[in-house]
Amino acid sequence: MNYDFSWIIVERALPKLFDGLLVSLQLTVWANVIGLTAGFLLALCAISRFRVVRWLAVAYIEVFRCTPALIQIVWFYFCVPMIFGVWWSGFLMGVLALGMNLTAFNAEAYRAAIQTVPSSHLDASVALGLGPVVSTLLVVLPQALIIAIPVLMTNAIGIFQQSALVALISVEDLVYQGRILAGETYRPIEILSTVAVFYLAISIPMSQLVGFFESRVARMLGR
Amino acid sequence: MVDLNFSFVLGYTNVLLAGLLTSIQFVSVAIVLGLSLGFVLSLMRSFGGTILGMIATVFVEVFRGTPVLVLLFWFFFCLPVFFGTDLGGFASAVLALSLYFAAITSETFRSSLKSIEPAQLDACVALGLGAGTRIFRVILPQAVLRAIPNLSSNVVSLFKESALVSAVGLADLMYVGQNIANKEARPIEILTVVALIYFACAFPLTRIAAVIEKKLLKVIKV
Repeated sequence: MNYDFSWIIVERALPKLFDGLLVSLQLTVWANVIGLTAGFLLALCAISRFRVVRWLAVAYIEVFRCTPALIQIVWFYFCVPMIFGVWWSGFLMGVLALGMNLTAFNAEAYRAAIQTVPSSHLDASVALGLGPVVSTLLVVLPQALIIAIPVLMTNAIGIFQQSALVALISVEDLVYQGRILAGETYRPIEILSTVAVFYLAISIPMSQLVGFFESRVARMLGR
Repeated sequence: MVDLNFSFVLGYTNVLLAGLLTSIQFVSVAIVLGLSLGFVLSLMRSFGGTILGMIATVFVEVFRGTPVLVLLFWFFFCLPVFFGTDLGGFASAVLALSLYFAAITSETFRSSLKSIEPAQLDACVALGLGAGTRIFRVILPQAVLRAIPNLSSNVVSLFKESALVSAVGLADLMYVGQNIANKEARPIEILTVVALIYFACAFPLTRIAAVIEKKLLKVIKV
């Protein structure tokens, strides 16, 4: 097993890999913009008083949580243009698929967080004469949001990793660039290891941050 | 609006089932290997001292922090270069999935080990139990029980991630589905059916996990 690792290959690959990383990060950010907002609305639907709304929301959540992200992305890429007659770029399809996937996972996180708000707070809101909208928006939500932060961040890291799948629908993200370069240079070890390091360099600090927020939230809940 | 015709999918029932069987094979082998390794890793991190703990931590962080797709490509393209022989697609895919599964289950085991109250350790000391008895007879049985609900959701994640092996050309359900979609030029029907098959396998698993969690919580609370 003595392999001479060629740094020059890595050095030459870096500009392309950085381009790819940028695309991966853009995908992640846009998917999170969708996931954080739509996920919240979906969580509200999932705990709605109206049975039909609740069922639809739960069905959406279960479908997106119980099928592979890969098939969601491939499905979007091939089927959305045929069904709706639109021709969007792979990037946009990727953002949509990843965003809708994240929406389902975030909705669960928000829902679980909303349930940890003690019901006595709602009783207190009633006693203080607050309306349902005010008590939901100003009493329940701020607490639920803070509690949900660690899970939301974990989901964000997860979607950063899932964004690698768009390489399979030819979006030029980090993995796509890595695969092309590995093929061109015949040096898969150098290139693919560098790609892995790129992912780690983002994921590990993020997960440390999650640990920090987790302990803060635990302390807050303990109080 | 496109006209949909799901009837042709019936002709591919056997092929799809064969693909599903391949997926299940990948998942089962990865569960056995990953679960054992994950368990050992969690013990290393919880009781292994500084050096073993560090090794386990680095392993877990690396395999959790890298997308499964990158792991798959890495094992598929790089291992043959290292070892000079072709391991075969099946072995390298199983290896990648197993190591990923080991990393996520070790976190599950670790958090369930952590969930055991320190008072129990104090009780062990008070009863004069040795370190071995303390770990294997008191802490582990409880930790494993508490890990079960999360482990089953880990299995669901693994099953979903197993769709990625199609990217290195292994004939799992996803691969078969994409091939048929290309051949018939009818992606909507076939991809929807494939998605439904995945759903039909994963959804009951999540329900079972929920039931176990409820029952188990009752047992442990008592």
